[in-house]
Amino acid sequence: EDSISVPGFVSQYGTLHFLLFHSQTLELKLTEAAVQACHISDMGVQTEPAECLVDSLDPEQNAQVEYPGLREFLQRVSGMVIKELKQNAKSHAFDGFEVNWVEQNQTVSFLHSLHYPEAQERGLQVTYVCWNSTGSVIASAYGRLEDGDWSTEKAYVCTWNLDRRGLNSQRPDLVIDVPSSVLCLAFHPTQPSLIAGGLYSGEVLVWDTSRSPDPVLARTGMLDLSHREPVYQVRWLPGTKRGDTFRVLSASADGKILVWQVEANGRLGLHSGYALIAQQIPRSTTVGKGRGDTPVGVTALALSFWDSDVFLVGAEGGLVLKCSFSAHTPAILAGSDADVMLRAPAQFSFSTHSGPIHALDCSPFHRNLFLSAGTDGHAHLRSLLQGPPLLSLHVSDSYLFSVRWSPTRPLVFAVGTGQGLVQIFDLSRGTLTPTATIEQNSSGRPVYCMEFNPKQMELLAAGGADGTVKIWHLSSELTEQRPKETSHLEYLANEVPE
Amino acid sequence: MFLEETLKRIQSHKGVLGTIVVNAEGIPIRTTLDNSTTVQYAGLLHQLTIKARSTVRDIDPQNDLTFLRIRSKKHEIMVAPDKEYLLIVIQNPSE
Repeated sequence: EDSISVPGFVSQYGTLHFLLFHSQTLELKLTEAAVQACHISDMGVQTEPAECLVDSLDPEQNAQVEYPGLREFLQRVSGMVIKELKQNAKSHAFDGFEVNWVEQNQTVSFLHSLHYPEAQERGLQVTYVCWNSTGSVIASAYGRLEDGDWSTEKAYVCTWNLDRRGLNSQRPDLVIDVPSSVLCLAFHPTQPSLIAGGLYSGEVLVWDTSRSPDPVLARTGMLDLSHREPVYQVRWLPGTKRGDTFRVLSASADGKILVWQVEANGRLGLHSGYALIAQQIPRSTTVGKGRGDTPVGVTALALSFWDSDVFLVGAEGGLVLKCSFSAHTPAILAGSDADVMLRAPAQFSFSTHSGPIHALDCSPFHRNLFLSAGTDGHAHLRSLLQGPPLLSLHVSDSYLFSVRWSPTRPLVFAVGTGQGLVQIFDLSRGTLTPTATIEQNSSGRPVYCMEFNPKQMELLAAGGADGTVKIWHLSSELTEQRPKETSHLEYLANEVPE
Repeated sequence: MFLEETLKRIQSHKGVLGTIVVNAEGIPIRTTLDNSTTVQYAGLLHQLTIKARSTVRDIDPQNDLTFLRIRSKKHEIMVAPDKEYLLIVIQNPSE
């Protein structure tokens, strides 16, 4: 340690000087007076945000003052960093180098088969499955397809909590009685107990699974503008302004797409809506179907993760349409004098499938890609930017009822077929044949619905005509993202078909 | 505009996803990424750099950390450390 030298000084202890001061204030003079304002004027003052002030000064100088030595630091390191960046971009050192942290699952395994005996006895089929926002509860909707049409008898919505001990696959945690076949479900994106459903009768209901005895939170009832035909899709839409709660979107065979809000009196009130009228649909090919002012039924709907204004609609006749929530052209609806004006949402028509579309899904990894599948047995990989599909895969000789992108692997998607198979495709393989095939049931009865678990993404739930919901655990190969997958996806998206 | 130019130059290289300058307390002072991502990277890498540096110096007190690279499945994070600042660059080399 350094030694400290103490300077010596001569003590001045002996001498002390005192100074004495007297002081006194002058006499205070006091006066009183009352004052009142006759005129009052208000003025608001606000300072400009700090950035504006800073801009007027030299940012360089500012930085120098705030961060001494920053300039020198950057001068020292930037050369080295840039050199490393360049080398890294050219390097092949890590090509094909893969590390396994998690034990690899080689196969797809079966976890649960859930069914509700009463529904099965009555021959009801699983029409829709949905996971809640926490990923622990799976809900299934039941209905019966008889001779090509949905029946009007009562049906159920059942939920099972898979994370609970004592899970009984034959006894749902909750059974909700519903007056007609339920065709679609959607759990609320943030509140794990709310679920919306669309019925064959055209009604839309919202249930709160935490309420008993009656879980119905809100319903549309039969208003003038409610759907009168089966509702094929329900979704929760985030509010347009901050602080707005989610609204329920329903799409039906009557050609209407309606947005509802949950009101306090147990009703779903109509907030806004859209209607698809034949003559208002931009068509890439002129197909004359009936009169121009007939509504075109909606059979599938998908929301885009990337652009909250865009939504995709699959309609009768194999139409695939790109629609916009902010469209303002009013729909030419016969006899419309309601308070809520319905608008025509279609902006672009993609090339049609040769049969009704049952399924649409937007890619969570690429803003322009989506899948469409329908009764023609083909699944199409499409881009929002062009009419014809990028890829057309022949999946099955039967109808295709459901299509879902994998939430973890950009190039993987699953398709549910009318032959009871879930076919999983991996586009990185370069072949158009499925990588994995899951046999949902041995009787070959259709798979109507599938959904990946939003939290445990290796779980896939599928339900179908045999009335059971099966939970499958996918292999690691199908769930772990590979390096360069997103760039491969980008490449596929930019390819123009021959 | 040396500061901004240098950062722009780094950011413009092939596959660079983001560039962050962090001060000695781990607080980001310049970034090309959004706020929450920046704060996350700055905090975590600041701590990791301190740990990396003490590892190097524990093994050999005459040595010191000059550069830190973390390679993950999706990208590479490079950290150029210094007494007062850290330069963090995130690059996806295969893009």
